[in-house]
Amino acid sequence: MGAEIVTVSTDSKYVHLAWQMSEMELEKVRYPMGSDIKGDVSRIFGVYDEQTGMDLRGTFIINPDGILLNAEINYYNLGRNIEELMRKFKANMYMSRKTNEVCPSKWKEEGDVTLSPSAAMVGHVHEALDKK
Amino acid sequence: MIENIPLKVGQKVPSFQLETYDPVKKDFGTFSFDPAKPDQKWTILFFYPADFTFV
Repeated sequence: MGAEIVTVSTDSKYVHLAWQMSEMELEKVRYPMGSDIKGDVSRIFGVYDEQTGMDLRGTFIINPDGILLNAEINYYNLGRNIEELMRKFKANMYMSRKTNEVCPSKWKEEGDVTLSPSAAMVGHVHEALDKK
Repeated sequence: MIENIPLKVGQKVPSFQLETYDPVKKDFGTFSFDPAKPDQKWTILFFYPADFTFV
């Protein structure tokens, strides 16, 4: 997929092992499961809940230069949409190659309409989205 | 100590390390993030509240 994926919670690596071995849903998981017991890394990203000692549902995309490009944090009770994560990841990869283009909300994959911001487009985004 | 935390989008992520369980190798390991590393790849971090719950 072109990215190093790491899942992180404040559980220990031993609990990660036990969970991965026992939960059938995780049978196909291939990503390293990070352990952030003290919450140091979680605090960097603003997902550590000091009240509970647990992490909120945060997803972060970091480019090869180490710049944080996308941050999404959900409260405990809302799961994430992996399709939307993949859309954002693909868009970020695409725009890192095509630096004069931007991906509008409906962009899903390479070949979909992008915009190239310019003075001529000001006030005419609708036409720019429509004409392609 | 790291300044500017929590990080905002557009900022540089500081280096950090995490102990890991790697389901492929079935072994423990370490994940090291280092923005200065020349062969740095894209990274996706996926935080969740607790093992044995839904993610």
